[in-house]
Amino acid sequence: MKILIDRFNGVDKFVQAYDLSIDEVKGKTLLALLQHIKRTQDISLNFTSACRMAICGACGVRVNGHSYLACDTKMDDLLKEYDNPESLKISPLANFKVLSDLVVDWEPSIENLRKIKPTITPKEAFSDKKGCVQTQAEVDAIKKQWDCILCGCCASECNKLEADSSDYMEPFVFTHAFRAAYDSRSKDALKHLKPSIANGLWMCVHCQECADRCPKGISAADDIAMLRVMAMKKGLKDGTGPAHAEAFLKDLEDTGRLNEIYLALRSEGVLANTTKIDIAYNLMKAGKMNPLHIFGDEEIEGHEDLVKMIEAARAANKE
Amino acid sequence: MNEEKFNRRDFIKSATIGVGAVAASTSPVSIMASELKKSGKNTSLPSVDVLVIGSGGAGLRAAVAVRKNHPNLNVVVVNKGMPSRNATCMAEGGINGVIDFENGDSNKLHAYDTVKGSDFLGDQDAIIKFAQKATEAIHELDYAGMPFNRQQDKTVARRFAGGAKYERCNYAADKTGSIMMHTCLDEAITNGVNFLLDHYLLDIAIDNNECEGVVLLNMQTGDVVPVLAKSVVLATGGYTRVFYNRTSTPFNASGDGIAAALRAGLAFKDPEMLQFHPTGVRNGGALITEAARGLGGKLINNKGERFMSKYSNRLELAPRDIVSRSIESEIRLGNGFGEGMGSYVLLDVTHLGEEQIMNELPQIRHIGLLFEGIDLVKEPIKIRPTAHYSMGGIEIAKFDDMSTHLAGLFAAGETSCASIHGANRLGGNSLADAAVTGKLAGEGAGEYANKRQNYGSGKHAEELAQKWRIKLKDITSGNSKPNELYDLREEFGQYNWDNMGIYRTGEKLEKHIKILDEIWAKYNNLKISNPNMFYNTALIEYLEFGNLILLARCACLGALNRKESRGAHTREDYPTRDDENFLKHSLVTLKDDKLSLSYKDVVITEFKPEERKY
Ligand SMILES: Cc1cc2nc3c(=O)[nH]c(=O)nc-3n(C[C@H](O)[C@H](O)[C@H](O)COP(=O)(O)OP(=O)(O)OC[C@H]3O[C@@H](n4cnc5c(N)ncnc54)[C@H](O)[C@@H]3O)c2cc1C
Ligand code: SF4
Ligand code: SF4
Ligand code: FES
Repeated sequence: MKILIDRFNGVDKFVQAYDLSIDEVKGKTLLALLQHIKRTQDISLNFTSACRMAICGACGVRVNGHSYLACDTKMDDLLKEYDNPESLKISPLANFKVLSDLVVDWEPSIENLRKIKPTITPKEAFSDKKGCVQTQAEVDAIKKQWDCILCGCCASECNKLEADSSDYMEPFVFTHAFRAAYDSRSKDALKHLKPSIANGLWMCVHCQECADRCPKGISAADDIAMLRVMAMKKGLKDGTGPAHAEAFLKDLEDTGRLNEIYLALRSEGVLANTTKIDIAYNLMKAGKMNPLHIFGDEEIEGHEDLVKMIEAARAANKE
Repeated sequence: MNEEKFNRRDFIKSATIGVGAVAASTSPVSIMASELKKSGKNTSLPSVDVLVIGSGGAGLRAAVAVRKNHPNLNVVVVNKGMPSRNATCMAEGGINGVIDFENGDSNKLHAYDTVKGSDFLGDQDAIIKFAQKATEAIHELDYAGMPFNRQQDKTVARRFAGGAKYERCNYAADKTGSIMMHTCLDEAITNGVNFLLDHYLLDIAIDNNECEGVVLLNMQTGDVVPVLAKSVVLATGGYTRVFYNRTSTPFNASGDGIAAALRAGLAFKDPEMLQFHPTGVRNGGALITEAARGLGGKLINNKGERFMSKYSNRLELAPRDIVSRSIESEIRLGNGFGEGMGSYVLLDVTHLGEEQIMNELPQIRHIGLLFEGIDLVKEPIKIRPTAHYSMGGIEIAKFDDMSTHLAGLFAAGETSCASIHGANRLGGNSLADAAVTGKLAGEGAGEYANKRQNYGSGKHAEELAQKWRIKLKDITSGNSKPNELYDLREEFGQYNWDNMGIYRTGEKLEKHIKILDEIWAKYNNLKISNPNMFYNTALIEYLEFGNLILLARCACLGALNRKESRGAHTREDYPTRDDENFLKHSLVTLKDDKLSLSYKDVVITEFKPEERKY
């Protein structure tokens, strides 16, 4: 079969095909396959890896447009998933700058993490001499988010980032902001909330792609929803975001469904929304948003997160 | 002075945004390098107050410690990739440090267990301080936001780890290392530590017996960049990749920092002390945690026997080194399956049943499927011991600040050898080592940089850089076939395993020294057939491999001359510990590509050497 790889040598972009017998492919992980190609066919092929056991986050790539951790993906499974294809296409993660072949630049992501100050500010009762106290339940509330290995798979799939990254950060940055803001040991959630708002908290289009592709089962979309709830609770209501949230609740009351397009129109007005047409267009093109939604009443599947959001919102309202 | 400041700021700028800017522009010239050209004077080299090389737990803790004690100093953490890819994030079990003093445990008992675990090769002055600081480290990590699991009383949860008398292994689920590393990374980011990604440490520059700075390879562009620093912390991790094809450590654990320190004239302490873990998957050695045996996993040979009964009445639950040796013995007796590096025995957990396996060993099941295509709910998994940790490292002059014998150079974590682990490291003590020594090194380096008036002249860094430029050009200009490099590396791993692995003899080691010389010669004739310097990962692999060969040569020399069995070092021809002759550390140094070996006494203060029995 053919493995097609998106190459970039620092100057030119091109696609290279590598012919492999099926025996060379079967039984390997995707990472082992890339190593095999490098070691037997093309020493100039560049990709990164370190742990080869799904914990360091180094090996995120795309196969046929979807992100995977190379070390945690078996070729046999990929072949099955794509119906024993003649070829598979491997590309670098999307929404990152490509440095070389499958290697992407993480520096802007670190600077984004810096914006949201990922470390908690512990309450006065605690000290670095005695540590903190916390219940296991309080740990469990943020445990999932701590599984993030900074692999970038979510960012690669994010529709908002793809449409416009100038006012938005990678989904995992919000996950990090959330885990700091929501930590029971922390006394200052605003430290993380404010920069989250300033850097796109209300721009997420709820497409759920981040959650679908995270190899650790994290939903940045949920974390974004939770951060929004926290922001409302803290009275950070300026701007279109909170109006958006109210429209959102109204949607839920009216139809029990979330209508992305209505929502955007209602919260920001038609004029403001012309700036978002490109996002919508990209979403539709990718088959991720149905234009029929504008007439409402179209079933939206797999939105467990909605339920969570409603619950969170209710809890917030009660307080 | 003014110029110096300007350049420092400039370097920092390039350290935080420059790399991105470089790649965004179409020209392959780095900002740092173009700055160099502009002023053309030595003092114009990029400079930074404190440079930390490596971003595992140790490097990150060091960087934060500098910023906390000296907010006026700038700190740049250099890493050969994204900072979060390292061995620290792979640790599962936990981090040692006594936090419960109510039920009989104490720092002194932690120290004693560590000394005993080390088979009395640990330096007791360092270990006693280490145990005390380990307690502090747990509280500090908690305060820094690390989400430990909690007990009923809301304090940090702890469990037993091998060789410990009390429950003092603190944990965060079964991903303590990942969670600790991300805590440290977040803390560094929040505290204004800067990062220089995709830069590879080539060498350390010395001026007048003081560390002047380092020479880095900018992997994104291929530029060789000399950088001045008032002080440098080396935290590049261990060197267990000498067993290339059978280790649980990440690909980047290639001992670059230790190799650079050797080339700078420093001593490599106890290089022969390499630890093995009994259960790695046959294919490559990824780790299967001890929990599998803890829950009742059985080790089975090709006769279907549960063979551990021959070796220990604690069966599979005997200490790591004993189980590792037992498995290797079975394989050598012909009771294993397969051949060569592919030899294995079986670890059977099927009797636990699907439900328990899915609940308590899901990660291991996943690894079985991933690497062997075996579902261990249905059949046993193929395992063999795997290289796991390096106790040896750069000799430390003073534990209190982790300074080395080169002024201005500090070392921490697995790269360093303050002799906390001696001949055998206890489970949970290496994360504690990274946290404790990382902080101490950061404090030491911060203090040093704060006092130091001027940067070095940069003459040596520039000279070294020039040498590297020529060398790298030469290496990448040839046309060897890709497999030549990788086959040689596999061969190297296998020879190390066979001759310098779990069982060693004088005869094999004697032979091995020659084999390593041959590999070294072959290596030096190899070229990389990829002249493109944009992120040339083959070149990096080539350089890492060179360092590994150097370190393996040191380990072999140390092992050959240590005519006793102690901890992880097992000499079949000298099966017992020999305190009379070998209660001392090996020190290997390098000069003109020749190694020499000397010894240094072990520091014994509170605990008299005794037989190590469990
Ligand atoms: C699978 C596994 C399980 C483990 N479990 C435990 C456990 O339960 N408890 C415990 O205490 N310990 C455990 N350990 C050991 C422990 O994780 C390590 O010993 C410890 O984390 C080492 O930390 P470090 O900071 O010294 O090095 P590392 O974390 O290895 O960091 C080294 C850093 O240096 C960088 N680097 C290397 N060379 C260069 C160069 N030339 N230029 C630039 N940068 C460079 C690397 O990229 C890396 O970022 C485990 C290890 C493994 C592999
Ligand atoms: S839900 Fe939001 S963060 Fe997640 S991929 Fe979609 S737009 Fe991006
Ligand atoms: S949230 Fe998931 S996909 Fe995104 S970086 Fe973290 S682990 Fe990767
Ligand atoms: S190599 Fe570490 S996550 Fe894949």
